Parts: sequence; C-alpha cells; structure tokens
Amino acid sequence: MTTKNGMITKIKDYMLLREVMVILVILALLTFLFTSRGVPIILTIFIDFAIFAIITMSLNLETGYTGIPQFGRVAAVIVGAFAVGSIPGRIMARFMGFPWGIEYASDTVNFKVVPQITALLASNWLLSLGFLVLSLTVAALSGAAIGWLISRPAIRLKEAYLGISLLAFGDFFMWVGHNWKGMVGGSVPVNVPDPFRIFAGNRFTIIVLVIFTIAFLVFVFLNKLTKSPFGRSLRMIRDNDMAAAAAGKNIVTVRTRSLVIGSALAAIGGGLYVLYVGSVASIGFSRLTFTFWPWAFMMLGGIGSNIGVLLGVFLLCILRTMIVIFRSQWFGFLLVVGIDPLWLEFTLMGAVIIGVILFLPYGLVPEKIEPMLPANRVKRVLAGRQ
Amino acid sequence: MSNILVTENVTKKFEGLVAVNKANIVVKENSFTLLIGPNGSGKTTLINCCTGILKPTSGRVMLGDTDITGWKPHQIYDVGFVRTFQIPLPFIGLTVLDNVLGAMRNIGESPVKAISKRTWVEEEEKNMIHAMEILAKVGLDKHWNLPSGALGAAQLKLLEVAKGLSSGAKIIALDEPIGGVDPASAHEILSHVAELKSEGLTFLVVEHRIDIAAPFADYIYAMDLGTIISEGPPEQVLNDPKVIEVYIGKGVEAC
Repeated sequence: MTTKNGMITKIKDYMLLREVMVILVILALLTFLFTSRGVPIILTIFIDFAIFAIITMSLNLETGYTGIPQFGRVAAVIVGAFAVGSIPGRIMARFMGFPWGIEYASDTVNFKVVPQITALLASNWLLSLGFLVLSLTVAALSGAAIGWLISRPAIRLKEAYLGISLLAFGDFFMWVGHNWKGMVGGSVPVNVPDPFRIFAGNRFTIIVLVIFTIAFLVFVFLNKLTKSPFGRSLRMIRDNDMAAAAAGKNIVTVRTRSLVIGSALAAIGGGLYVLYVGSVASIGFSRLTFTFWPWAFMMLGGIGSNIGVLLGVFLLCILRTMIVIFRSQWFGFLLVVGIDPLWLEFTLMGAVIIGVILFLPYGLVPEKIEPMLPANRVKRVLAGRQ
Repeated sequence: MSNILVTENVTKKFEGLVAVNKANIVVKENSFTLLIGPNGSGKTTLINCCTGILKPTSGRVMLGDTDITGWKPHQIYDVGFVRTFQIPLPFIGLTVLDNVLGAMRNIGESPVKAISKRTWVEEEEKNMIHAMEILAKVGLDKHWNLPSGALGAAQLKLLEVAKGLSSGAKIIALDEPIGGVDPASAHEILSHVAELKSEGLTFLVVEHRIDIAAPFADYIYAMDLGTIISEGPPEQVLNDPKVIEVYIGKGVEAC
C-alpha cells in the first residue's frame, strides 16, 4: 500500500511539475515578446487569451465534460456577435430618435448613427456600463436560445452524425449573417457603439481588464459547475450514455442543459470580441478561428480540465501571435522553396493537433479523476468509518 | 405477497429474429426471482424490454399498477426499478466512489443548485456514507478513490452490482451479477443480496451459475429460444426434463 501511495504521490508531483513547466514557458515567451515588442503586443495577447479562454472553456464543457462533438462552436459565438452588433445599438438609436429598423444596418446610416451613440455613451459612465451589461445579457440570452434550438434536432444524434450537424449549424449562421443585410449589414461590416470610449486613452487597458475579469468569472463558474453532482452527470453521459440512463439520468435534458450553458458562454465570448473590435463582419467568423482553433487549444490543454484549457489557450495564443509577428523575419527563407510563411499560422494548428494526438493524448494537464465531494468532507466520512 | 413486476406477452423482434416470444413472468414483491437459460435464450433482451433500454414489439410491462411499457430508462428509474448490466459499463472518468454516487439522487444535479455547494454538499456526504457501506459489502471500499478504469474485470462486475444496490430502488434487475467472479465472492454477493431482500427489496436476477444462485432463489423462470419453458420453485424447475435438456442436451436414449 505504501508503494502504491508513493506512486500516486509521484504521479501527482509529475502533473504539478507539468503545470509549472507550462507556466514557465508562457512567462518566458511573454518576457521575450515584452522586451522585443513592448506592452501593446502583450495586451493583444491577453485579449486574445481571455476571449478564446471563454470560448474554449465553453467548448470544454460541451465536449470535454459532456462528450458532445461540438464542431459548431462558431455558431454560438457568431450569434453572440450578431446580437451585440444588432440589438443594443438599435435600442440606443430608438431612444435617440435615429433610424433603428433595417436602415440601422445599412452602411450609409450606420456610420453616421454609431459615432453619435458612442459619443453619448462616452459622456456618461452609467450609460456606458449599462450598455456593456445590456450587450452581454443580450449575447448570453441569444446564445442560450440558439443552444437550445440547435439541441432540438441534434440531441438525438450521436458521435459523427451529431458532429457533422453541429458543423453545418456553424456555417449556416455565418452565411445567414453574410446575406441578411437588414441584421448586421451582410457583407458590409456594421459598427458597434463603444462602451469603453469613456476611458479615452486607457480604453485598451480597461478592455483587457474587463474581458480578463469575465474570463476569470467564467472559469470559477465552470469549475463549480463541473465539480458537482451536475458535473458528475455530465461525465456519466460522456462515458456511457446507456449506463447513465439506467442510473436515472435524463440524457436529453442533461445534454440540452450543457449545450445551453456552453452556448450562452460562447456567445458572451463572441459579444466581447465584437465590443473589442468595434464592428461585426460576419464573414470574419470562420469555423477555422472559432471552432477549430478552440479545438486545438482544448486538445493541447487537456480535454475535461479547465485549468489545462487555460494553459493551452495561453500557450497557443502566444505562439500564434509570435508566428504572425515573426513569420517573414524568421521563416522568410521558406519562400525560396515556394512556401509562403503567411500560412504558417494554419500549419501550426495542424501540427499541434497531430502532435497532441500522438504524444499527449490527454493534453498538458490531464483531467483529474477525484471525488466531487470536497476533500475535507471526504476525510470526515473516511474518519467516521474507522 | 403482491406482484411487483408483471410482463404480459412481451415480444421483441429484431428484423426476422424473435428474441423474446410472448414472455409472461411475474415477480412477487420481496422475492428473489431467478431467470435462467442458455446463451441467446433472450434473458437479457427481456430485462432490456422491462427497463426501457429496448421497446418491446408487443406486450405490456406492468410495475405494480403502472404500465411502464416503452418508458425511458430514467423514467423507470424514477418509479423505483433499476438494472445492472451483464457487461460492466463503468464511468471511466469517475472514481469508484463517484460511480456509485452517480446512481443515487442529489439535488446538485440541477445546474442552478450545482454552483452553490451549500445546497448539495450535505446530501452528498450522506450519500457517500451510504455508498461506502455498499462498497464495503462488495469488497471495493479500499479502492474507493481509484479511477474506475483501473479496476479488474471481476471488480468491475462488483462495481456494477454496487451501482444497482445504491440506487434505493424497490426492485433491482441484476444481469449476471456473479459471472466471472470467484465462487467465494460470488456467494458473498448473493448473501448480501439476500440480506437486502430481507430488508424488503425485490430482485430479478439473470444468472448462469445455477449452482451458486439457486439456493437463494424463491422462484425460477427458465428460458430457451425466447420462450419461457419452465417456471416454479427451484427444485421443480431444476428437475424439469425440458430444462435439463436445454442445458446439457438430450438424454442417452436420444443419442
């Protein structure tokens, strides 16, 4: 028994070591970027990290914990983006007496109206805060609604069939947005009123702080949610849905709940992205960026591990940014053999996915298998048995 | 004793194959009813039809006064009827303890309550005390903290039984609970089942190991090729020539 305990401790140490090593690598890369490029690049990475952390953690809830092959993550993200791009601005326009119907989304009206809304927001911090809260609420509600809607036809399918239908949903929403001029301008991007303009020169830093805080709250929320009897039901359904049903779990309900919560969170991610960028271009929400990148982040970080997902997102966001910055400088020689370093970003994603499958099938920080009951309570029960 | 589970002419067809053919069984309350029969005789299919894993092609399944034909497994769980699986289906991403706890109910299964630990932690602790007792009875309490994927084949079988016993159901269908388990442990499991029976539970047990299981049984049904060929108290069924024939072949005269 002692050798067994010794072994378990060793494995635990090893896992902790991994987390520490990943954090060290992240810090080293950040220091390097900071010294060579300065603060703005670090802030960009932080924003990338926080937005993709929200989206990837929501993916992890659905895929990592519930076992739904969510290849349509972009669907909820895009719906959050559309909601923020179309609804709060229109409400403001309505109250300020501007056109707020279909015309709001046409570029000739939009580029005149939105700056005036932004100017009004910048004059009053309460209004700015209200606009931010309204945007995120609208995003979360639309995301939840779409999650529920998608779950209706999809929930009865399984595995590859479910994955393909979800993938199709993702592209469906992008093309709807691209062609529906009256919502968010179709192929012409729509501007979004900026609730952060009130901070003027500090806008960027405040955005980083706000998005970071929201990402942190999402992390805490998901940790609580997954380390609970609800999280156990999710994992039961993931591991074996028939046995979970026999143990009294309503598979359809639990899967729907997981999809609704995950989609609402992903939509918040999409909404924050839109507020940060300041406009919505539906064609920009590709499945590559908002489905496959999150999948790569999740696989690298550790499926079913929230902390692992955070580390995976951080590491890959840094690497991705570094490639974008340094590709021509470091990899320019590839042009000689006819490879354009422009595409290295995508090569990285493919390489990460293949590398993870081959060498790190459980990710950087594998899922921890531990009781849902807090450790002190477990100890108490065990002590009571002696 | 009243009837707790009654099947009326339950038939299950897979394409052309009739897996269960007009099976009528009656499980009396607080009994140990044994279902025997050679491989492929339809025992598991019958259990599947009763517990909602499969929908019977025709016939009725009654639990007490409720018609549960075609209900979903979780609905059948809710009215107090659970089953275990012949091939263990552990939740490999959970500890042994959580496998058992997962078969119990907790208010924290609702996502709204789940985020507030206060609402569910007391119930969870109580459930854990109960789960550890059950694990001790099947001899798995030492391994409570292991991932269930780390257990051996026989231990998984025991875990499957523990999951069934923990649910608090009034009738439990055990599908080959002692298959592949050594005789001593097998006897221990069945003794535990008998003990629970004395506390008022009802068991419908599918088992091949008639030698070990029969002494515990109150009533036996024998199946062959989808039909019930014999029923009655153990001595009667086990000495029924039809039952002997399907198990060990025709008598010497027939050769």
